[in-house]
Amino acid sequence: MTTSGTPDIEGLLRQLAPQVLGALARRHGQFEACEDATQEALLAAAQQWPEQGVPDHPRGWLIAVATRRLIDEIRADRSRHAREDAAVGAGERYEPAPGEPQPPQHDDTLTLLFLCCHPALTPASQIALTLRAVGGLTTAEIAGAFLVPEATMAQRISRAKQTIKAGGMQFELPLPDQRAERLRAVRHVLYLIFNEGYTTTAGPDLQRVELAAQAIGLTRVLHRLLPADGETTGLLALMLLTHARRRARTGPGGALIPLADQDRSLWEGQEIEQGLRLVENALTTAAIGPFQLQAAIAAVHCEAPSAKQTDWPQILALYTLLERIAPNPVFALNRVVAVAMTNGPQAGLAALAAIENDKRLAGHHRVDVVRAHMLELAGDRTGSAAAYRAAARLTTSLPERRYLEGRAAGMRLGPA
Amino acid sequence: MKYMLLIYDNADTRELFFGPEGKALSEEIDALMAELTASGELAGGEALADPAQTRSIRPHDGAPVVTDGPLAEAKEHFAGYLIVDCESAGRATEIALRWPNARFAAMEVRPVMSPGGPDT
Repeated sequence: MTTSGTPDIEGLLRQLAPQVLGALARRHGQFEACEDATQEALLAAAQQWPEQGVPDHPRGWLIAVATRRLIDEIRADRSRHAREDAAVGAGERYEPAPGEPQPPQHDDTLTLLFLCCHPALTPASQIALTLRAVGGLTTAEIAGAFLVPEATMAQRISRAKQTIKAGGMQFELPLPDQRAERLRAVRHVLYLIFNEGYTTTAGPDLQRVELAAQAIGLTRVLHRLLPADGETTGLLALMLLTHARRRARTGPGGALIPLADQDRSLWEGQEIEQGLRLVENALTTAAIGPFQLQAAIAAVHCEAPSAKQTDWPQILALYTLLERIAPNPVFALNRVVAVAMTNGPQAGLAALAAIENDKRLAGHHRVDVVRAHMLELAGDRTGSAAAYRAAARLTTSLPERRYLEGRAAGMRLGPA
Repeated sequence: MKYMLLIYDNADTRELFFGPEGKALSEEIDALMAELTASGELAGGEALADPAQTRSIRPHDGAPVVTDGPLAEAKEHFAGYLIVDCESAGRATEIALRWPNARFAAMEVRPVMSPGGPDT
């Protein structure tokens, strides 16, 4: 037995959660019941281990407890329905005592990720289920991170599990011809979790699970399982290079600080280094993809000693390529900024005119942000103020609204 | 993304709930609430007491002053709200269109501000 502080136990439980669930689901099927049983075992461990110490074989302990819960549940279910169920026999074969040597190492995390990110589930359900089943978070922690009531999050998770059960989705790897598409779905869910971390977090809140860090942890796991997948490497690099700037992004009172004004000494050097290594590795060994290119763009920003010394022509080239392989109005808008920074604000405004009528950008506040920025560069203070005001009206982020209102006021007050 | 669905009443809409249609309307609301709970989209909501119970506070010469009654006599008054956390403004609007009050009085759908900022 070893004794350790609660944070260590929490980390260990989160790490073991997908392995325990994977072992159960592989042996017994019935993902829904296995997921409940795993959560109960994790809760039991969270209550008992801090007092009694961590067992010598924590994974075996959790599997044993979860299996017992699963069998109890199946038995209760069987007596409720008063009928024999062939599946129960399979469940009864394995019931090791706590402390028994660990079952053979077998990583089911990838199978688990594919199931949790199944395209039949809604994005909200995919996210919630992934964080619980693979991330090992409790429903309360996930609800807190998303700023919704626990009951709302519990419902999303139970609905996701019902969909899996009703759809007869199996705990198995997707067929080879579906693998690439399903993997794309997994990456997308991880990316959504990461982004949610930025849109719900205003400054450090120690009580709340940090979604961006969770997303990085999960993406690290995926990268470890599929080291040759360039887009997974690219996604991990993009997250690290973005997350590295977190302390510089907000000032006192949660005020937003744009990239150009950030104190670069606050950027996390180690994460940047790791991100740079990953992106370089992916770009030189794998087929190019959108996450790798976005990571490469983030890398150019991170490598610049100052905003002024940013290699904008390279960023423009990368955005041009990105837009070609993954046409997307938001990428096109970002490219406009690179045009303005490379060839001047008039060229940027012309590029903006060419895309601003894209229906997919309608009502998007970023169009006005970009316009305001370019008008400011061009010295049109009145036009810039109006565009900043328009953007402030369209954003749904509180710190961004304050920032844009501040810029609008600055334009009207005259040169600083 | 969270949206607030603002529900308005007028003098007649509350009466509907006492009339022959009342039971069906209440059931319709209960069914929609159950559906939004089951889908994991319902994130909150409250109904407000009659506007007659309102106390209003307005600045007067730079200091807040309390008076009984709503700010203004209006044809329609704010009666309650729902918070839904859903995929899009389109989905939030779809929910508002199905809320029974929408057939008798006004509804508004507004995005709820997020406390976090984008990476710029």
